[in-house]
Amino acid sequence: MKSISPMPRLIVFSGLLLMAGLVVNFSLSAEDDSPPVNDGKYIAPNGGPPPVAPPLKKGSPLDHLANDPKQPLPTVGYKEGHTNGTTYYLAHRGLDAQGGEGWGWIKKGDAAGSWNSAQWFALQETPGVAVAPHRKLVKNDADADWEYKFWGHFATYKAYDPHLDEQLTVFVLDGYEVIGQGNPLTLKIGPQGRIQHRPSGASSRPGSPILSDPGVD
Amino acid sequence: MRLFLTLVAILILGTMGASAQVTSEAIVLTGGPALRFMEHGKGEVSHDVYWFNFVDASVIRLDELKSQAKPGELVTWMIYRPAYVARSKEMGLDLIAQLTEKAKQTGSNLQWFDTKEQLISYLNKGQDRHKVKIVDFDYFGHSNKACFLFDYSNAIDTMSIVWLHVKDLRYIDDDIFAKGATCKSWGCHSGEEYSQWWKSHFDVPMTGAIGKTDFAHGGEPQLSNSDGKWTQ
Repeated sequence: MKSISPMPRLIVFSGLLLMAGLVVNFSLSAEDDSPPVNDGKYIAPNGGPPPVAPPLKKGSPLDHLANDPKQPLPTVGYKEGHTNGTTYYLAHRGLDAQGGEGWGWIKKGDAAGSWNSAQWFALQETPGVAVAPHRKLVKNDADADWEYKFWGHFATYKAYDPHLDEQLTVFVLDGYEVIGQGNPLTLKIGPQGRIQHRPSGASSRPGSPILSDPGVD
Repeated sequence: MRLFLTLVAILILGTMGASAQVTSEAIVLTGGPALRFMEHGKGEVSHDVYWFNFVDASVIRLDELKSQAKPGELVTWMIYRPAYVARSKEMGLDLIAQLTEKAKQTGSNLQWFDTKEQLISYLNKGQDRHKVKIVDFDYFGHSNKACFLFDYSNAIDTMSIVWLHVKDLRYIDDDIFAKGATCKSWGCHSGEEYSQWWKSHFDVPMTGAIGKTDFAHGGEPQLSNSDGKWTQ
């Protein structure tokens, strides 16, 4: 009887091992491919228990937001975040009747008087440092036409507002001081490119405004 | 006998060599969750209570793709990283490590991206697109009918700072997909406009939803509304 030399024997063995591995792998992959049953409860993909979020961290921005008492109006003179810099901006809270999520108008701090140089913008908060003043209020829109000193900078990127399909300048907030209630402004609401809405404004195709809520989940 | 064994060995080694060479690619693209800080107090429209809603759905799809993959097919998982970094910070968990582990478990080729440009660069040049065409594409994340919103209500309340608008599709090479490629957006409203732009640019259909989709109950996302439907 002729014996097989060690090298081919090794190769044959490796080949068998490889094939056995493929078979096992296939059978594992083929298991449990029935569609998930959905009765309205969350079903973890691996059949485990539903996910549970860790407890709210005491002192975190979310903890403050959820548990601090709210007030009806801003407090004049209140400061939050980094407010020591000599360069600041003046901000006027505006509300977009078209449903846009822009915060209001902003101009340089030394541009006293007229608001003609102001621009409509999106506010990027810095949780843990300074967040939008309305976070302290009972109603989100209670500070309409209130004015603030803002410290921070303009971002190099834009914000996309999915409700109106338009892009806004972004101001990153580092700190603010409440000045007080101002007079309503007669400036155009919305970014420069906004078409006067009939009824919704700029869109990906002229005459085809985007009104869809982007939300999922 | 020795000749036979040698031929078997050559066959086995040849097969192994061929399977190691990537000849096609399936891509699962996953957007990020909102921060709870941004969504607090929004009631029923509060998004992403569960931080891995998009991830779990993606993993299901990745497992499907891996089980169906042909020899030489690379299964790639692209994840928008900054949103998970921010949500990790908010929750006090290392979601990035968990995602890395999930990618390992699925055996997928994990590709993080932080910007739209990085995403587009991978789609165009991540593989040699003359040889390695994309045969399958799935998107899980926030969307409206004109946009994939990889970031949503994470950096700015109710807005996005990283997105792929239908107008951005022109920056993606129009020949990256194989003929007959399967594409689907599992996000809201994609079938109302995005699918048409997709087909127009790539000459490949993309299934998308008319109406909203729901990721909140685990498993693959489902249409939220009774009058919703999937379309191309």
